Amino acid sequence: MSFDIMLHTPTFILAMPLLFAFLTILVSKFSKKFGEMTFLLGLLLTGFFVFLMSYRIFTDGGWIYTFGAEEVTTRNFFRITFIADGFAALATITIAITAIAAGIYSFGYLEKEMSSDKFYTLFLLTLGGVNGMVLTGDLFNLFVWFEVTSVASCALVAYENYRGRSVEAALKYMVLSTVGGLVVLFSIGLLYGQYGVLNYALLSGSISRTFLDKLALALLLVIFAMKASSVPMHMWAPDAYGEAPGPATPFIAITSLGSLFVLFRLLFGVFGVGIDTAAIGAILVILGVLSMFVGVTMALVQNDLKRLIAYLSVSQMGYMMMAVGVGLATLNTVEYQNFGELAMKGGLFHMINDGVYKALLFLSAVAVIHKTDLRSLNDLGGLAHKMPYTTMFFLVGALSIAGIPPMSGFSSKLLIYQSVYLYNPILAVIALVVSIITFAIMGKVFFNAFLGPDQGLTDGEVSNVMLSGMAILTAVVILFTLFPNLVVSEIVTPAIEALTGGVLP
Amino acid sequence: MIDIVLEGIWSPIVFILVILITTLVAYILYEMGNPSYKRTKHKGEPFISGNRPPKDIRKIHVPGDNLFWGFTEALKNYFEPLVEGHTGKLNDYMYWVVITLAVVLIYIYMAV
Amino acid sequence: MTLESILMTLPYITVVVLFSLGLFTVLFKKNLIKIIMGIALMQNGANLFLVSLAYRRGEYAPIFTSAESTDMVMPTAHALTLTSIVIGVATTALLLSFVIMIKRHYGSINTDDVRRCKE
Repeated sequence: MSFDIMLHTPTFILAMPLLFAFLTILVSKFSKKFGEMTFLLGLLLTGFFVFLMSYRIFTDGGWIYTFGAEEVTTRNFFRITFIADGFAALATITIAITAIAAGIYSFGYLEKEMSSDKFYTLFLLTLGGVNGMVLTGDLFNLFVWFEVTSVASCALVAYENYRGRSVEAALKYMVLSTVGGLVVLFSIGLLYGQYGVLNYALLSGSISRTFLDKLALALLLVIFAMKASSVPMHMWAPDAYGEAPGPATPFIAITSLGSLFVLFRLLFGVFGVGIDTAAIGAILVILGVLSMFVGVTMALVQNDLKRLIAYLSVSQMGYMMMAVGVGLATLNTVEYQNFGELAMKGGLFHMINDGVYKALLFLSAVAVIHKTDLRSLNDLGGLAHKMPYTTMFFLVGALSIAGIPPMSGFSSKLLIYQSVYLYNPILAVIALVVSIITFAIMGKVFFNAFLGPDQGLTDGEVSNVMLSGMAILTAVVILFTLFPNLVVSEIVTPAIEALTGGVLP
Repeated sequence: MIDIVLEGIWSPIVFILVILITTLVAYILYEMGNPSYKRTKHKGEPFISGNRPPKDIRKIHVPGDNLFWGFTEALKNYFEPLVEGHTGKLNDYMYWVVITLAVVLIYIYMAV
Repeated sequence: MTLESILMTLPYITVVVLFSLGLFTVLFKKNLIKIIMGIALMQNGANLFLVSLAYRRGEYAPIFTSAESTDMVMPTAHALTLTSIVIGVATTALLLSFVIMIKRHYGSINTDDVRRCKE
């Protein structure tokens, strides 16, 4: 049998970050330059395998990648599965784009840092963990990758441990994640005790409306919503995003997005088959509306640049939860054909959009903080004179997050508005109001930080390496802006088919 | 049930073309303006209700706290509990998780 | 209710007690070290739960013996428990190291004082 590299890509997507994480720290002992090269090679290889996997998924359809037994027999469940379908492709593409851009950016940011090798190692470990979470096909693996992500990303938040605030934020994030992980473990135990299987596909066939199944559903839903920074469990998010080291900030946000991907996979693939989805969808819609509204109003009163964007990120998470919640609530009904599918398209398109433009916003805000050493909007001003490129990149991200036509954020929000309106008009009104407040906030930030007379806060533009990291993200945002139909038909539609069609056995 | 059929077209390329054409038209109109207009010596200085701009350049810029001050002041009753609700205490973060868990559990047992 | 069935439920009762004690500690204790102790209690509760689930009467532990393979229990839950113990050690170590650094920066490990990230 010939070795089909395309078939084995899911393994490589997980193996490359983990292998290069430890290679990087080893090589860095001899030469910092080679250590950086190793880190970059790891990122690019991961991106390359993500590309290969997605290519095969989009051309030939998804497949299940198994370790151990090929087939399921009565007493033989020794198989570890990875699901490589359209949904996994959407998730890994989002993660890979952000990771590569943030990784390249970090070379410039950590230029003078002595212990940058630890940063690279933790970054790659987080990347491996998030990829594992979205690719895995059974609950056992889900728990393991959940904890890998938690430990690595919390250590990443505390990287600048000479500042007390970052350690404090990391501790809070870690306590919530650890308790969350234990609750996940408990609900895995509940499901395993009843059915004796942990595989998504096998579980989805057995789950019904028993007392214990509902308990497991509620526990999993709440914990993954907590990791996805949904209000009222969002409080760790502004702390952690605000205090994380610069280039890692978008990546901490991506771990939240990864948790949201997992939540959707669990709700649609595992619980959606046996349990009535209308009520679960309503929970998602309520959590989403709360996140949208509370997130954006809290952002309005913030003065710390990174914290403000962190609250906006919480608010954007709300859009996705609301849109996919509407899709879940109308699943298997006539209304799904009318507007549910459109809502799903909007929600999932918004996920990939949001992952990219939020990373761009975070990175350009970090460039400002890196250059001026100021975080408060009261002190900043007039940066557009000395930092023209950063200003342009920030403007692209700001217009996109505010949903101003013709930016990519508008394309996905338009889909959400028109579909959600048919479910309940009030939701569309709230979504529009939140979008307007977001625009006002972005106007405030842009005016405060970049416009006005030059105050001599900075001596020039950030280094070219950092600019190129932001330029990659800007290019992707503009690509999504110009060809939204292409993205929806080529990437988002297979993801929706994979999500609603049930998990492959 | 509301009976609305989703129609319409969204094409960013057309939108960008429209923006470009509008900009062009605006520029042509601007060029057709009165050529006898003379720029004054105060060109480029900020206009602060006719007052002379301050010498310290930092005082020209409005700090972040002051923007939307009226908005947050008017909705004080909404914002204050929210801002104070984010206490920063680890225990409070955990309370919120447990409370949400309890609410979701009750809802799922009643509704599903 | 026979004595045996009561004995069979005893592990699950212990699980509930351990888990709720841990949750209580995390929620109501202000000392960070005590919060981490609470997390450790919850970890032990979850591990005990998995081990109790894995027990099947009349079947053998999946160790290399002469027993028929159909008489052995599925070791999935045991593997999950071992993984969870290893992960628990890692998370506890990381949490405790965070507390050490917090003590250095803040001079206190009370959650009422460790709250510079707020609003």
